[in-house]
Amino acid sequence: MRDYILLYINGKRYQVSGEQIFQPFSDFLRHEQGLTGTKVVCAEGDCGACTALLGTVKNHELIYEIFNTCIYYVYQLDCQHVVTIEGLKANGHLHAVQQSMIDHFSSQCGYCTPGFVVAAAGMFEKKNVLSEQDVRYGLTGNLCRCTGYQPIIQAVLAVAPDTVPSIAECFPSSAMLQDFEQHTTDSIAAHYEETITGKSVIKKFFNPATLQEILDCKKQYPAAAFVAGGTDISVQMNKGKVHPDTIISLSNLPNLDFIKRQEEYVRIGPKVCWAELEHFCKNTFPEWHKTLTVFGSPQIRNVGTIAGNIANASPVGDSLPFLFVMNAEVELSSVHGKRWVDINDFYHGYKNTEMTKEELITEIRLAPLNAVQKMKLYKVSKRKDLDIAIFTAGILLEEMDGVIQNIRIAYGGVGPVVLRLLETEAFLKKKQFCLETFREAGKLARGEITPISDVRASAEYRLQLSENILLQFYYDVCEEQPC
Amino acid sequence: MMAAIGKKIPHDSALGHVTGEALYIDDIPFGKNELVVDFVGSPCAHGKIKSIDFEKAKQIEGIVGIYTHQDIPGHNLFGPIIVDEYFLAEELCEYLGQPIVIIAAKNWKAVKQAKQLVNIQIEAYEPVFSIEQACKKNQYLGETRQIKRGNVQNAFKKSECVLEDTFYSNGQDHFYLESQAAIAYPGETNELTIISSTQNPTETQQVVAELLDIGQHEVVSICKRMGGAFGGKETQAAIPAMMAALAAYHTKCPARVVYTKDDDMKITGKRHPYQTHYKAAFTREGQITGLRVDFYSNGGAFADLSTAIMERSMLHAENAYYIPHIEINGTVCKTNFPPNTAFRGFGGPQSMAVIENIIEEISIYLKKDAYDIRTLNCYGVKKNNVTPYGQIVKNTILPEIFEELSQTADYKQRYAAVKHFNQQKSTKLKGIAMTPIKFGISFTTKFLNQGNALVNIYKDGTVQVSTGGTEMGQGLNTKIRQIVADEFGIDHNHVKLMPTSTEKNNNTSPTAASAGTDLNGLAAMDACQKIRAGLIGLASRHFASVNEGLAPAPECIRLEGGYVFDERLPHKKLKFSELIMAAYQERISLGARGFYTTPGVDFNRETGKGNPFFYYTTGCCVAEVLIERLTGNLTIERIDLLMDIGESINPGIDRGQIEGGLIQGIGWLTNEELRYQDNGALLSYSPTTYKIPNIQDLPKIFHVNTIKNPHHTINVRRSKAVGEPPFMLSLSVWAAVKNALSYVADNQIPKLRIPATSEEILRRITQYTSKAQTDLESAESEISLLSSLTNTEKTRVLPV
Repeated sequence: MRDYILLYINGKRYQVSGEQIFQPFSDFLRHEQGLTGTKVVCAEGDCGACTALLGTVKNHELIYEIFNTCIYYVYQLDCQHVVTIEGLKANGHLHAVQQSMIDHFSSQCGYCTPGFVVAAAGMFEKKNVLSEQDVRYGLTGNLCRCTGYQPIIQAVLAVAPDTVPSIAECFPSSAMLQDFEQHTTDSIAAHYEETITGKSVIKKFFNPATLQEILDCKKQYPAAAFVAGGTDISVQMNKGKVHPDTIISLSNLPNLDFIKRQEEYVRIGPKVCWAELEHFCKNTFPEWHKTLTVFGSPQIRNVGTIAGNIANASPVGDSLPFLFVMNAEVELSSVHGKRWVDINDFYHGYKNTEMTKEELITEIRLAPLNAVQKMKLYKVSKRKDLDIAIFTAGILLEEMDGVIQNIRIAYGGVGPVVLRLLETEAFLKKKQFCLETFREAGKLARGEITPISDVRASAEYRLQLSENILLQFYYDVCEEQPC
Repeated sequence: MMAAIGKKIPHDSALGHVTGEALYIDDIPFGKNELVVDFVGSPCAHGKIKSIDFEKAKQIEGIVGIYTHQDIPGHNLFGPIIVDEYFLAEELCEYLGQPIVIIAAKNWKAVKQAKQLVNIQIEAYEPVFSIEQACKKNQYLGETRQIKRGNVQNAFKKSECVLEDTFYSNGQDHFYLESQAAIAYPGETNELTIISSTQNPTETQQVVAELLDIGQHEVVSICKRMGGAFGGKETQAAIPAMMAALAAYHTKCPARVVYTKDDDMKITGKRHPYQTHYKAAFTREGQITGLRVDFYSNGGAFADLSTAIMERSMLHAENAYYIPHIEINGTVCKTNFPPNTAFRGFGGPQSMAVIENIIEEISIYLKKDAYDIRTLNCYGVKKNNVTPYGQIVKNTILPEIFEELSQTADYKQRYAAVKHFNQQKSTKLKGIAMTPIKFGISFTTKFLNQGNALVNIYKDGTVQVSTGGTEMGQGLNTKIRQIVADEFGIDHNHVKLMPTSTEKNNNTSPTAASAGTDLNGLAAMDACQKIRAGLIGLASRHFASVNEGLAPAPECIRLEGGYVFDERLPHKKLKFSELIMAAYQERISLGARGFYTTPGVDFNRETGKGNPFFYYTTGCCVAEVLIERLTGNLTIERIDLLMDIGESINPGIDRGQIEGGLIQGIGWLTNEELRYQDNGALLSYSPTTYKIPNIQDLPKIFHVNTIKNPHHTINVRRSKAVGEPPFMLSLSVWAAVKNALSYVADNQIPKLRIPATSEEILRRITQYTSKAQTDLESAESEISLLSSLTNTEKTRVLPV
């Protein structure tokens, strides 16, 4: 049992304990360490100014991915190595990306620049030769208000791959790996006492090393918040909307990040992050893959997990319409045992789910599409990338000889939870697969939902989309297989 | 070594930017005893303060001081044009979040807790949010102003075609990445140094002095750089600076204010929303014969720069077109929003949008290509070249720009292709448009057109330059560095731009109106020339040679490539640093102050006539867009842009201004939407909900070029201002959307507001394609309140 977080920053070892672990990592960098190259703008993971590289042990190697330090708390960083903008200028030499950005006028006010530099440097960890599409994709999580992005793209494209050192070359891994491997099986329990407006509160943090420990811990502290990627709860905490006294981190929990095909199922571990799923889906679920590419940003996808998206119960959770129409199942575990729940029965109301306070999602499983099934997913948002959906839809069709045999329709953003449109589905069953059918279904779909007007869109827009998306589905299916 | 001007010399802070070493306000390490400062603002948009209770807040550990307007030793009332804005609300609260109470503490944690415990009781009054409501209540800021020429009523009477309607454009948040921030350092006796993220250090100095009732000479106001500004730190940096100054004054400790992004977006002013009534008369060929526009802007609670912004709107109402009979009226409405303020374009975008909208409507009505309407009405070279306010449009090449860009962008063929595409059965729709800009350069307030600079040469031949211009990323420092380097013929690396400080440069104008390089560059050049005079005199004596029969000849002295020489003896060279050392020993001054005033600018507000501008920056842009008919989703397929920016001092910097300005404009026109709760609280107050352009929103094809203009022979090194103008070229994207809608609008003229979000686009498509005619009352407004979102607009038919 340890009471501190072990982490490395730019190759330097830190043991952090007490109050300091309960702060966003960007604050720790800027306020405690004076590493002010990392900027904070939005404190909610939507601008990328705070981007750093997160080195995590995978197969006895440190693998570096970009993440938002503003929505990653120090307690999430156990046994990891973070490289900040200060770490990229190794031994006084500029990183190739830095030099290229100078040469291409890629900075104007400069405030977003460190984030872009780190994100661009991170791209070279995985791929040497980058296309323009790669560059745009890799920098989707970073906002710039001055340049219009073009000179940033040009700078990254101009970098000669052989001039980019790998992070491992700059920061030798072996000592860190050894250190991490010695400590990663430790359970961590830490706490500190805080006085908030006169009242004393004890903030507790647990990082159990086994599933059993975690379930026991959750039984003992049913109000505790589980944190894996933390890409939603950290935002809520930064904005003062939630104040969990007890945090249980899943970061050191082994064996929960699997993705495998087994018998009739695709089985997904709860800790699988979106970047891994995106990679996996490319062939297995190409339609899902498309929507995952506009899921958050690379920084978010690198740490956010599928179980987090499900448990967070957002009515516009990007993955949910897909899981709904695929009849995915969720395994819930607690000290009392395990049970499987159909995702369609998982949500009871706004942010209200089937999960009890003692349960943890331990697996998600679904069957791949069969030969007669056609499935389409839609996400409408104000901005195509790095935006929360206004409206989402998943539609799964089984059609034979021009007749709809079966159809499942799930809409998000039109009510307090993601909805199946059962009346519209029933109407469509056994109808001709033709434009007129979907036109009528569209009108019906409008009546089946009760969206609200909010900051993202009006109720009217959502109603119109509910109607139109069925037509869009019809046209999209026709395009693939002329009707 | 070649001259520095005209070269792509990197931004002078680029190295600091890419390494993260460049310091912004909140990166400065905390000093001993330094305090953090925050505020509690009005809980409602309009009301009277009944009581303020912060006794409990005071008890929180770490709280050092809590202040209200009663703790202000000097003035609480300020304003750059009309003095009407309270720094801390006294009795009346006029916008939600308006600062009332200032809290100084040892750490942010204490501040957060204390804020929760400040109890402000307000008697709520009915707030006014829209222009329509403000007009009903006769709530205005300043007077309605007018610019007119000819007889517009007559033009309407005589005209074959008349078109009339109302146009709406929403606001825009600056979304500079570095939020408002300032640190105040108290000195001995009354002295105070304030470091602030401001475009206007002089104003910061002045308001702080007035606030504390001390002389301006007691205050030093410094700005090293800003993490973006775009106009948002021209006046609105004043409030955070005053907060820091007040806390420092009372505690005698350094005091730091750093707004969170959320607070910054909630309480600072934005681009003005506009509602404009327009009536245009035109011939069957599309020649505009008369135009009346009544601009109404939503000014927010206080005047700020609103009247000057309205003035610029009025001076750009005709954009690049000659309109013989014209009447332009401008009114600023007082509402219960934070005071709206300067934002790139300064009212120009809102008014140019109106005329470009009119042109699109004329083209739809006449079933002509809008390009032909534009070129038909474009300002001429020999005739049709006088603006409504009487200034002659000279030395511009707009017709050439139209012609060249239409060629290189393949406009006519693509226009036909778009038409063809839209005739096919598809779930997609295309649109294309080419729009021009003619943007006047100079402050329309005459006295602001001045700049001063200080140039100091040190004994090793290196140079420090200080001007009143501030660096917000636009590259001002880099350009001045090049100008100064060339004046002395030295490497630009030997010239350094110093933080802007009121100690070095007094009574400076804000860095705004795109005129930063013009004013400060020429002031720096003036200072250099004063020093040069002494150096050249010395050098002429040095190179004079009795043996070779050469008398001292200052006109033959050259400063080039880091050397000085007499062109009659080019092989005999002296290093610049040697010349400087010699000058020092000869007791010749190696420092000078320069001064510049823009010649010939004068505009009479009363008559609406004069020459407000030194020159115009012009350009054109073609945009092609793709729309998903069933979702309204918009993609920009291609952009081709051509601008006349004179002889560029730094093509790398200028290209950045053009591309960045254009993309920022596209944000205003498409995705950036300010949405409010019905109580006036901004809902889209962070990047989660306020969507500025992302890297993926860049057009697939993006061509940016400049054109030579041999007629432009004035201004610093024959350059032109470039900061704001490209912003307005983004109107081509909006016009292309309008063009696309014309293909589904049957025989109606499709309406389209700003911003053209996917929601707005789908609403219009549905409106024009659905069989059921919507016949609800018009609920259009220049602002977006939640409750007004569900109403649909009555379809309008063009009155002829």
